Amino acid sequence: MAVRTIIETVSDRSKFALVSTVYLLKKRKYLLSFLISFFVFLFFLTFFRDGSSNWQLIWSGLPLDRKLEVIGKIFPAMLENFISLYGVTIIFLSFFQAIVIMQIIFAWRNREKNGALDSASTGGIGAILGFIALGCPSCGVGLLTPLLSAIAGASAVALAETIGHIFTILAFALLLFSIIRLGYINYVIIGSKNYKEEHAKSH
Amino acid sequence: MQKAIRIGLLVLVAGFLGTLVVFNILNPTPPDMETWNNMMAKGDPETAKHHFIMYTDIFCPYCDKFSDAVAANQEEFEKNYIEDKNILFEIRVTDMNYENGHSENSRPAGEAVYCAAKQGDFWSYYYALLAKVYKDYHSRGIGVDRTSPKIPTLSDEYFYEIADSLDTIDRDKLVSCMENDETVKELDDNTAKAQKKAINGVPYFVFDKYTANGFAGNWNTKNDYEQVKLLMDAGLASKS
Repeated sequence: MAVRTIIETVSDRSKFALVSTVYLLKKRKYLLSFLISFFVFLFFLTFFRDGSSNWQLIWSGLPLDRKLEVIGKIFPAMLENFISLYGVTIIFLSFFQAIVIMQIIFAWRNREKNGALDSASTGGIGAILGFIALGCPSCGVGLLTPLLSAIAGASAVALAETIGHIFTILAFALLLFSIIRLGYINYVIIGSKNYKEEHAKSH
Repeated sequence: MQKAIRIGLLVLVAGFLGTLVVFNILNPTPPDMETWNNMMAKGDPETAKHHFIMYTDIFCPYCDKFSDAVAANQEEFEKNYIEDKNILFEIRVTDMNYENGHSENSRPAGEAVYCAAKQGDFWSYYYALLAKVYKDYHSRGIGVDRTSPKIPTLSDEYFYEIADSLDTIDRDKLVSCMENDETVKELDDNTAKAQKKAINGVPYFVFDKYTANGFAGNWNTKNDYEQVKLLMDAGLASKS
């Protein structure tokens, strides 16, 4: 019975969150914040998608113009994400992170600082886990592999792969949790604002 | 209380990420500059000013990206880097993906290239095998990352066929070498040597003082030579 109630509550709140998300995406300034966040997250996730090799190039002794070339190569790579399942995972992570940011900005601007901060920390953990999970450990690329190699030796790759999968699932779960929670709060705020506006008009 | 726990968790996870990044930058793997197999090195070991090492596995997709780009621009690579910059370019083949349980094919492929080296033409066989693996699998999105379908276990015939297209490799000698496990020990020893250095993933590049793991070329531009040049120039800049 309790499980059924929880499922119904989550299902209802998800619908409310979806309504508030669509509502915000129709507002130009929130759409803009969504697009900027999406672009920024997609850029950084793509930068680290093949492990730390790009990062190592940036920190190498290359002259500035060659370092800019490393950054410039990320833009076509961002588009390349659309052609593989792994890339699509990165796109979805960026999409959910951008939705969280947009919801946080709306809640913050409407004096729901506690809700915004709570979701920012949960969404933040999700975002960082998403970063850590990037890469392909068996291909030698991944942020986790070098550290785990020092700790777990030869079994590090298998361990990094398993942890990577767990972190990816956790990242999605935390981001979705943040979206549903904050989306519901924002739905209430939007409803209340609309009611006040209509009430003011009728008087 | 709940907020404190959440902030604490955020700090913990962020700290973990920071540790990973710092650890990756300060990767303490000491270089091993003695050539492992002279047949797998280009340049003059006696006079070379730089030593560029690539730890690899034949069924590692990111290694394939690098080597395909080099193979497609071999003349320019050899002139501009190996000759002009006086570099000793060495390939260290391991079967790490077999050891890690990710590819059954890494072991026979590793044996085959060491057998080709025994016949005196490692490079032709190595590039021909990588081109075949790229054409049959990597270019079709098979075995390229953790979400893609895996490459099926291949028969030894897959590796023998390469010899048919090369004048310098005798197919019968290759078959005999692989059937008699003539190069298994060398492959095992070299993989163990790499793992001892905490190199558990390939490609791993050592260029004088510069080290890099992974290769960030683009899949849809097969011969991503620009990324190779960035890597080589970063290595050269580390010395100066």
